[in-house]
Amino acid sequence: MSTMKNWLAQSSPALKARFAGILYLFTGMAFVFADSFVRGKLVVADNAAATAHNILAHETLYRMGFAADLISAVGFIAVTLLFFDIFKPVNKSIALLAAFFSLAGCTIQAFICFLHLAALVILGGVQYLSAMKLEQLQDLALLSLNLHAQANCIYMVFFGMYNILLGCLILRSRFLPRIIGIFMIIAGLTYQAFLFPPLAQSLFPFLIGPAGALGELSLVFWLILFGVNSQRWNEQASAANTI
Amino acid sequence: MSLNSLRAWIAQSSPALKARLTGVLYLINGVVYTKADSLIHGKILVKDDAAATVHNILTNGSVLQLSFAYSLIATVAYIAVTFMLYELLKPVNRSISLLAAFFSMTGCIVGAFGSFFTIAPLTILGGAPYLSVFKTEQLQTMALLSLNMIAVVASVSMVFFGCYCILIGYLILRSKFMPRIIGAFLIIAGLTYQLFLSPPLAANLFSRVIMPAGALGEGSLILWLLIFGVNSQRWRQQAGTAGE
Repeated sequence: MSTMKNWLAQSSPALKARFAGILYLFTGMAFVFADSFVRGKLVVADNAAATAHNILAHETLYRMGFAADLISAVGFIAVTLLFFDIFKPVNKSIALLAAFFSLAGCTIQAFICFLHLAALVILGGVQYLSAMKLEQLQDLALLSLNLHAQANCIYMVFFGMYNILLGCLILRSRFLPRIIGIFMIIAGLTYQAFLFPPLAQSLFPFLIGPAGALGELSLVFWLILFGVNSQRWNEQASAANTI
Repeated sequence: MSLNSLRAWIAQSSPALKARLTGVLYLINGVVYTKADSLIHGKILVKDDAAATVHNILTNGSVLQLSFAYSLIATVAYIAVTFMLYELLKPVNRSISLLAAFFSMTGCIVGAFGSFFTIAPLTILGGAPYLSVFKTEQLQTMALLSLNMIAVVASVSMVFFGCYCILIGYLILRSKFMPRIIGAFLIIAGLTYQLFLSPPLAANLFSRVIMPAGALGEGSLILWLLIFGVNSQRWRQQAGTAGE
């Protein structure tokens, strides 16, 4: 434990940045698993009966989706803290504001996990639900999942703000390439389309998806492969301390 | 008392006093949360019986409102606990203490949001004209469904509180002003809370594993804070070496 603490205290900013990159990738994969492989595979649009059948036939997979959603939120909170530490020397106030936006997004993401699980509770076949017809229960379950998809739009706006601020911090930093900052700002701006969900839906495949992938993946892979320039980070950190 | 004098008082008050106040708030949280929970389970909820549950709701009109208020008070108290434990454990490792506070805040907000499922049955059963398209039994089912959602949301927040317990446990282990064994207990408690990632598993193991581990971890922390606070001298030493 004490060696671990020393390691954490002495670990270079580059190591911290690499760790943040790996964690970011991990949360992204957990999210994609829950969203594409679980909900994407099991939810049949506008067909409540088929959706209900899929969920009950793959209950374990469906429950793993719930766990993956939660793990993704937990992981991103840790990413948020690591980024706060990494970008504090650039501008402490903006780094803190960025962390607040991200935390708001993570909290909403965590809360709406209940809509995923609610579908299973509704379809659980418990006695007291017999006052509803089977089709009504199936409709309620699909409604819950559709609300989950709508609620995704809420946190995307907050994560968009986070990306914009991170992009600004990267632009002003001396330890990461500026082009990644620009990509992140563009990604964050396109996420603001979720303020109007139908627009976001129609723009997703050819604007938001690619812009988001370019911004977030370029950051993630740069962090994993190169970390940050430790020497320049230390310079900027000590310059920030002398002010 | 003006805000400034309050701040000055907090800054000057000894760490031990702060720790005791944290213990008091933590205890309030525990008592009030248990109260909110037992009101619903003891007086309202009849498992799988919507009609009986609704009968209880309508004959004990204020119980749900009381439970709602208690659960919000519990959350408010825990946000205060989170802030105070952040201050207390900051000298050990500022970043990890901040990360712990982030996890706890997420758990608190999710929990506060979940309180609305406690109060929603009153709206569902409120007899508004627009609800008349549903049959009585259907409204009763929705009311029970809403109450059952409380546990679902609680599962979500417990995962975050589990992460919180693991991190404050780690910080207490590394601290020089509190007994390490409490840190170990908290880490164990936090690990068992991760079982809520699979709610059916958590429900199975709750009374045998999660409850005892949680009571030991959080209970020992509360008691230690209330009775002994922290060792102020050693806290100041560690805060001094943390170099701020």
